[in-house]
Amino acid sequence: MTGAGADTVDLDALGGWIREFARLVGEHRDELTRLDSAIGDADHGINMDRGMTAAIAALDAAAPASAAALFKKVGMTLVSKTGGASGPLYGTLFLRVGATAGEVDELDGPGFAKALRAGLDGVVARGKPEAGDKTMFDALAPAVDALDAGLDEGASLGAALRAASAAADAGRDATIPMQARKGRASYLGERSVGHQDPGATSVALLVAAAATALGGPGQR
Amino acid sequence: MSDPPVGLVVVAHSRPLARAAVELAREMLHGGQVPIVVAAGLDEDTFGTDAAAIADAVATADSGAGVVVLMDLGSAVLSAELACELLDDDARDRVLLCPAPLVEGLVVAAVAAAGGADRTEVAAEASAALAGKTAQLGGPPAATAAAPGPEPGGTEAAAGAGGAVSTGPAAGTGNGAPTGSFTVGNPHGLHARPAARLVQEVRASGAQVRLRNRTTGSEWVPAASLSRVATLGAQCGHEVEIEVAGPGARDTLDRLLALAQRQFDEGPAAAAPAQTPVPPRGPVAASPGTGIGPARPLRQEMPDVPAERTDDPAGAWRDLTAALAAVREEIERVRARTAQEVGTAEAAIFDAHLLLLDDTGLLDEVRSRVDGGEAAAPAWAGGVRRVAGEFAALPDAYQQARAADVLAVGDQVLRALQGPDDRGWPRPSGVLVAGDLTPAEATELDPADVSGVVLAYSSPTAHSVILLRARGIPAVVGAGAAVLDVADGTPIALDGGTGELIVDPPDAVLRDFEARAGAFAAREQHVRARAAAPATTRDGTRVLVGANVGSLPDAVAAAGFGADLAGLVRTEFLFLGREHPPDVEEQEAAYRAIADAFGGRRITLRALDVGGDKPLAYLPVPAEANPFLGLRGIRLGLARPALLADQLLAAVRVAHDAPVSLMFPMVSTLDELLAARRMLDDAIAREGRGRPDGLQVGIMVEVPATALKTPVLTPHVDFLSIGTNDLTQYALAAERGNDAVAGLADALDPGVLALVDAVCRGAGPDTLVAVCGELAADEQAVAVLLGLGVRELSVAPPAVPRIKEAVRELDMDRARSLAGAALGLGTPAAVRELVGERRPGRAGPSGSAPDRDVDGRAEP
Repeated sequence: MTGAGADTVDLDALGGWIREFARLVGEHRDELTRLDSAIGDADHGINMDRGMTAAIAALDAAAPASAAALFKKVGMTLVSKTGGASGPLYGTLFLRVGATAGEVDELDGPGFAKALRAGLDGVVARGKPEAGDKTMFDALAPAVDALDAGLDEGASLGAALRAASAAADAGRDATIPMQARKGRASYLGERSVGHQDPGATSVALLVAAAATALGGPGQR
Repeated sequence: MSDPPVGLVVVAHSRPLARAAVELAREMLHGGQVPIVVAAGLDEDTFGTDAAAIADAVATADSGAGVVVLMDLGSAVLSAELACELLDDDARDRVLLCPAPLVEGLVVAAVAAAGGADRTEVAAEASAALAGKTAQLGGPPAATAAAPGPEPGGTEAAAGAGGAVSTGPAAGTGNGAPTGSFTVGNPHGLHARPAARLVQEVRASGAQVRLRNRTTGSEWVPAASLSRVATLGAQCGHEVEIEVAGPGARDTLDRLLALAQRQFDEGPAAAAPAQTPVPPRGPVAASPGTGIGPARPLRQEMPDVPAERTDDPAGAWRDLTAALAAVREEIERVRARTAQEVGTAEAAIFDAHLLLLDDTGLLDEVRSRVDGGEAAAPAWAGGVRRVAGEFAALPDAYQQARAADVLAVGDQVLRALQGPDDRGWPRPSGVLVAGDLTPAEATELDPADVSGVVLAYSSPTAHSVILLRARGIPAVVGAGAAVLDVADGTPIALDGGTGELIVDPPDAVLRDFEARAGAFAAREQHVRARAAAPATTRDGTRVLVGANVGSLPDAVAAAGFGADLAGLVRTEFLFLGREHPPDVEEQEAAYRAIADAFGGRRITLRALDVGGDKPLAYLPVPAEANPFLGLRGIRLGLARPALLADQLLAAVRVAHDAPVSLMFPMVSTLDELLAARRMLDDAIAREGRGRPDGLQVGIMVEVPATALKTPVLTPHVDFLSIGTNDLTQYALAAERGNDAVAGLADALDPGVLALVDAVCRGAGPDTLVAVCGELAADEQAVAVLLGLGVRELSVAPPAVPRIKEAVRELDMDRARSLAGAALGLGTPAAVRELVGERRPGRAGPSGSAPDRDVDGRAEP
């Protein structure tokens, strides 16, 4: 939980983010898979659920001592257990978040935003997506931008994360009319138009989980 | 072999698939020991890839000689890249990710590794593994009219055919075939003629011969293919390796080395270079926008000429000789102009054209046809067709392209003979497809008729392509010779912002491109609607966005596009291609017309900027070995002051009635600047009406030394205008018209940016610094330039609205921090990444992707 008024998030809160994300992925597993069956290989929900379940198990097995350790454990577990492009992409995201967060046991708003921005940069470095390619980038980039913008304007981390979550949702919805230019969905060409991107959908869950778990008291 | 062999790692989605591939490869090893480790599938039955498992597999396979990783598709590539990140630095340095096809690549890699090849050789061998299949099936090694969009897994296809791994400098391939090497002694390198001789010898031998350019570290190419040999780019002094396999390999090698020793039987008189096409790199984005329409190949086919006869053969021959002379003059003019404005390398194409006009084989035949009673036109056309037919019948696409050259020149002579007709442009509307365009041809294109341009060769920095951008015609270049075979009328869709090129697209793809075209147009309309408004950053810094103009129509267009001023008027347009220089009155009228077009906004006249490679009939200059380092710009103006004096007088007259800035090109010393200013003072005195109120004086900063001397130059100028094109090529010692080094001449090189920084610091807060090179039109560069202190950007007229909009989206604090960070980076790519990070989605060499999604979202 956030410290009262201090607007920082501790390891418990960060772990809570991961757990909330895992919960949402489990809840939306069939939806994610259904979306992926329209334009991909029908495994995104299954893969993400497998990966996140394993990540939670790893966290339960030994409590990490720092933010770096926490996210590294999550990232490495996703890399090994997820399968599909989500593994290296989400894996890179969390590994970069952890590397940027560093050996600390709490993060303030700008620190968290900087770490998440590093995660986005990792996704860009790994998958080389561009805006409009109909990928997870289309939800993640506006979310990170909104988080930065919110904090810049003096909003609390919670308020900024809620804005980020709204931006991610909007980005996710905006993938519907796009034509996929990355990954297997790109093989479908125009037939990918009209379907919501599963990667953008799971990213929206990731940001929603952050808003819930890191958004301060009273937000659940 | 005492050294341990290179290890191999197989990454695939399916474990059984990987195991089967390994079994297949092991069959080739006959017991040879090569560590091959599989990292495939999440488990026995689950498809997927695991970066951690790949990293472990690499560690297992590495016995000190390093590892080559072969992958199947999609996430396999992503996971392998991530695995490299997970390794420690030392181990990572010994890993090569190989783009070879998995099965073919693994088999070849295993054999090479067992033979003791090092990892770069193993990876190179594996990458070449596709060649056998390609040769068997007859396809080109790299598709040019390929499927739309990027490859799966996020590796962009646009980078194109060069996508092989790097190859090391080591000799031989370690598989026992005889190898040797030679140093190219031919003055113009292994150009078409010696290359053809080499290929002929290889084909006659029946052996399998491969070559690679050790000097450039090129890939191995089959020596039986002239076009592949051409891609070696082997120049005089380069070392080329030969590897021979098959019957009589040793003898063949000896014969080839002897042939090389004889410089491929090329006599000294035959040393003129044939045109060497740019190695195809796959379609490259060159001019933003979407072009859709039927292909209009520019094959310069000669029309059918009626078989008329003449009873005056002597007169017919005279007519023909006159036509040949006229065309020779025209080609020499365009050649010189191209050399001056683009580069000597690109001008070389015209040498081949000139050779044809003197070709005795052709002229003898035409002469005998005329003597036999044929009229000049059919006699000429007949001879040209025969020569072109010989080229076209050759099996090689590269040689076939020479047929197009022959017909192009043939057609040119025919037009000179018969007078202009309606066969030329405007052609039926559609997408123009050509090998290359001359600047003159590019200016002839009508955007209303030409919805896009596809060039087999050329590069985004070629002058003709710059002109296409200036005229707003979408273009994709470097598409490879295969596009020249596209039939007239075949539907084509191209995206000049992304480099996508699709021949005969399915309806669905066509609709996508139409949607993109609509979105691009909508964005253009959006920014154009605001074009007339000033460009002010978010935090209120005003930036002038001007236009570079080279003619009155340009000026009219620039005003329409909302240019704040003419940041550069290339006055050369008045001086080129004529017998006598324009007099003061003619110049005055022309400058006045441009000032009128700008309606009271400032025009910046650049003093005549020509050089020793320039064929101004009235300004003879001795030939120079290196015109770019010779008597050009203000140097020539001061050496031959009459022309400059008249031009300054004309400028002064106009300056009495309109705001005029005068700018001296190629200034490299303070003395030059002071001498030029004295000449200007003389012109003011000669006019006798005092100093015009609005007259401002500046210099172009194109010479690195000038950039560094800004503090001592600034007190003598009102403004400084950085010509980033020349500054870049001088700073990096790389001519951008020379494809072999054009990649170096990147204006975002941190060294160039440091020079821009030096100019801005030297100029201080009170002297305006402008950029009027191509860099100013690069949206990605705008933040860095403004952050360094540039306050005026002058670009091609159609780019004005876009650049104004880019300025409006900027925040100066962020621009300054970006600029500061850019100065500390090591490569232009790193700079691009830096500025791209802030605005994901902006991409492309001209920074001009139609990034509607980003912009739609950037507005909070």
